[in-house]
Amino acid sequence: MKSLGGIAAFRNATTLIALAFLALFLLYPLWLVLQNSLQDEASGQFTLQNFTQILSSPYYLGSFRNSVVAGALSTVLASLIGVPLAFCLARVDLPGKSALMTLASLPLVLPSFVSAYALVLLFGHAGVVTVALRAIGIPIGSIYGMSGIVIVFTLTLYPYVLLPTVAGFRAIDVSIEESGRNLGASRWYVFRTVLLPVVMPAMLAGALLVFIEALENFGVPSVLAEDKPYLAVDIFKLFAGESDSNPAAAGALSVLLVATTALVLLLQRHYLARRRFATGARRAPPAIPLSRPWRLAASVFSWGIVLLSVMPFVAVVVISFLRFHGPVLSWEFGLNNYASLLRGSYQPLYSTLLLASMAALLATLLGAPIGYVLTRHRTRLSGLLDVVGMIPFAVSGTVLAIGLLLAFNSGWLVLTGGWLILVVAYVVRKLPFSIRSASAIVHQIDPSLEEASINLGVSPLKTFVTLTVPLMLGGLAGGMVLIWVTAASELSSTIVLYSSKWATMTVTMFQALQGTGAGEAAAAASILIVFTLVPLLLVYRLLRRHDGSLL
Amino acid sequence: MTTIRLDAVRRTFGAVRAVDDISLTIGQGEFFTLLGPSGCGKTTLLRMIAGFCDVEQGSVWFGDQRIDKLPAHRRNTGMVFQNYAIFPNLTVARNVAYGLRARGVDRAQIATRVEKALQTVRLGGYGERWPHQLSGGQLQRVAIARSLVIEPAVLLFDEPLSNLDAQLRVQMRVEIRQLQQSLGLTAVYVTHDQEEALAISDRIAVLRAGRVEQVGSPEAIYRAPETAFVAEFMGATNMLPGEAGAFDGTTTPVAACGHTLHVAGQVAAPGAKVMLSLRPETLRLVAAAAGGPCLPVRLQLREFLGPIVRLHMVLPDGTPIRVSALAGQDAAAMPEGDLALAYDPAQVVAFPAP
Repeated sequence: MKSLGGIAAFRNATTLIALAFLALFLLYPLWLVLQNSLQDEASGQFTLQNFTQILSSPYYLGSFRNSVVAGALSTVLASLIGVPLAFCLARVDLPGKSALMTLASLPLVLPSFVSAYALVLLFGHAGVVTVALRAIGIPIGSIYGMSGIVIVFTLTLYPYVLLPTVAGFRAIDVSIEESGRNLGASRWYVFRTVLLPVVMPAMLAGALLVFIEALENFGVPSVLAEDKPYLAVDIFKLFAGESDSNPAAAGALSVLLVATTALVLLLQRHYLARRRFATGARRAPPAIPLSRPWRLAASVFSWGIVLLSVMPFVAVVVISFLRFHGPVLSWEFGLNNYASLLRGSYQPLYSTLLLASMAALLATLLGAPIGYVLTRHRTRLSGLLDVVGMIPFAVSGTVLAIGLLLAFNSGWLVLTGGWLILVVAYVVRKLPFSIRSASAIVHQIDPSLEEASINLGVSPLKTFVTLTVPLMLGGLAGGMVLIWVTAASELSSTIVLYSSKWATMTVTMFQALQGTGAGEAAAAASILIVFTLVPLLLVYRLLRRHDGSLL
Repeated sequence: MTTIRLDAVRRTFGAVRAVDDISLTIGQGEFFTLLGPSGCGKTTLLRMIAGFCDVEQGSVWFGDQRIDKLPAHRRNTGMVFQNYAIFPNLTVARNVAYGLRARGVDRAQIATRVEKALQTVRLGGYGERWPHQLSGGQLQRVAIARSLVIEPAVLLFDEPLSNLDAQLRVQMRVEIRQLQQSLGLTAVYVTHDQEEALAISDRIAVLRAGRVEQVGSPEAIYRAPETAFVAEFMGATNMLPGEAGAFDGTTTPVAACGHTLHVAGQVAAPGAKVMLSLRPETLRLVAAAAGGPCLPVRLQLREFLGPIVRLHMVLPDGTPIRVSALAGQDAAAMPEGDLALAYDPAQVVAFPAP
């Protein structure tokens, strides 16, 4: 629109800067990964050998199969937990419901490999529970491998199903249910034939996110897989491993992983594009009157699931105050784990705080204008941005990190070994979230507010700066904290990109795990939990006001 | 205080011509309403005047200044939005002051002008309140004050009353009309409510599918609709299909529903298919034997609506026809025996059949 004046320049500048950023730090590195996978390592000739080698190797096929099976099982289990829990949260008068809702969303933002590590501390070879049970003669099955991984994924990722499904159940106007009952259907029949189908798109959207996250996750299998092959772990080993390094094969596996997640993501978009059952509830439907035993059962179920998913994090914090003798715990309280962790240096803590803050700030500064432009001033070019901006969803942190290493290890722009490459990786990874949360915020601002301002004589650009930005600030702050929290607990790209000077808390914890420092790992995990939990609880009120849009 | 001239303006969205070569002249101080069903282009036309929608072809003039290339914030129009569009982060006074601050008016003057504007909309003393403390009607008054205080060249209303409840709607439209008349401002008002349009306007343009069907005073639009669409859109009417006969010098006989109606003037060539519009309130229930121009009917249903009574009648061939009468008059005047409807040939309007 010609009449938009300065805002058009703003729109074009935003779009071009964002596209340039993504081209340089996302598309170019990914292209190098693809190119790498299609090259003979020695001669540089084009070859499909890396792929044929992987596809004919029982080990790597097993790795792919394990990852997909773990992802699929976790998805199914997360849905089986998430949907009933969502219904209870939306429609049953549970005690402490708002606390329950907060606790239920925590596993999403707390580092999942900490949960995996807690499982090891409790049920591992030398775990607290394992040892205690063994002492009284009860043997316990191994939690390493598939079972442990699926348990951790299910308990940490089910909020992806839960949150949109709760919103879905709440958005169904009670009149729909009443008309079903009026036509002679039982509550169960109405649930099965009306309520469930209506929330199905929201549920499936969440479930596919579970699948993608489980497939890409590096930390959980690296803690729990032991010697079983997993895609994300193998890519890291092939690329960075000391003994069996094979970057070309890592590239081929990366392409396989990205292709799978991208396919799932496309399926999700395609599915959702054709299904939108908005029933436009004027207010959330009322709680279902339940008899005492049923209400008790629902409460026990809901609180049970949520506490179970939060329990590992609590356990890690408790254990971090216990004394370790080698890998074995004793029941003596003390701060010596923290002492030995921090004796080395406070640097990892500072690095984490600094890198996460920079990443949160930059991702918001970049994502918010994009979200605004995409929502208010769509052009063909910004439509392209919409697509490219969502690509990081489909790219695992490890693969992105490998691409960044390939791209910026030499040549005109060398970033490896510094802090900037970590910030870049975080910003790229968190950008889709930042864009989405910004555009959700803009969606909530009625366009006629901006038109009223313009109509009263304020130019569009000035309207954006003096009216729209202040209206967005609250939501943006909430989104920024979430980015901060997830960047602070990022492991999968950090582990590839860090240099010793810029090792973060997650790296420290990972290294302690690989070594024998079980106590130090617990201390590092606890510090991580505290540092992610505190800002989260601080913005909790903000989160509730914008609930669905931020997660 | 401006005349507005639209000269063959056009706007297409995809394959749809939302505004299809519309030309209108709105006089100084006139209250002009754009009326039509949803999707007729009325809001697009208003937004073209405000500058929120580009004019693809044609031009828009305020007096002798062409404004369609002027950015929206420099047009000096005061727009009142359907959902009020009150800035939630500013107090009532700051909302009203918004346009004045944008124009760099000095502070002392802003305070007095804001208070005066708030008094004009009967919200004196509300300045320090926050928007969330106000009701819908009050918010709309703030929006009006905010538009008036900048002394706009023209006032634009985009369905300003449709979010209010029925009683408040009637009250607010009187207030809007009185304000506009006392300030002598040119106003363009968009609505889909024909009663609102009739009540408030100096002139009405009825729009349909991006084109103007008819422009005229409320009385002319209602009494002498130029098209069947306008006749039907402006409140309930009875449409009877028929075939014109030969003009006898004063009336044209039209064969409709098994009878012959006499319509004043020559309405069509003999043999032409026509539609006749008979407004319910122009019909009168009489005894069949009474004589004069009338149609034999049967009573099917009587609806008591308080001030009026609506009678659902059927013509001998089964065609339904509705009659409105003032309540109290019909029961007393209900004739014995066979019934008929007396009509005034001058108040029957004929259109070419589609």
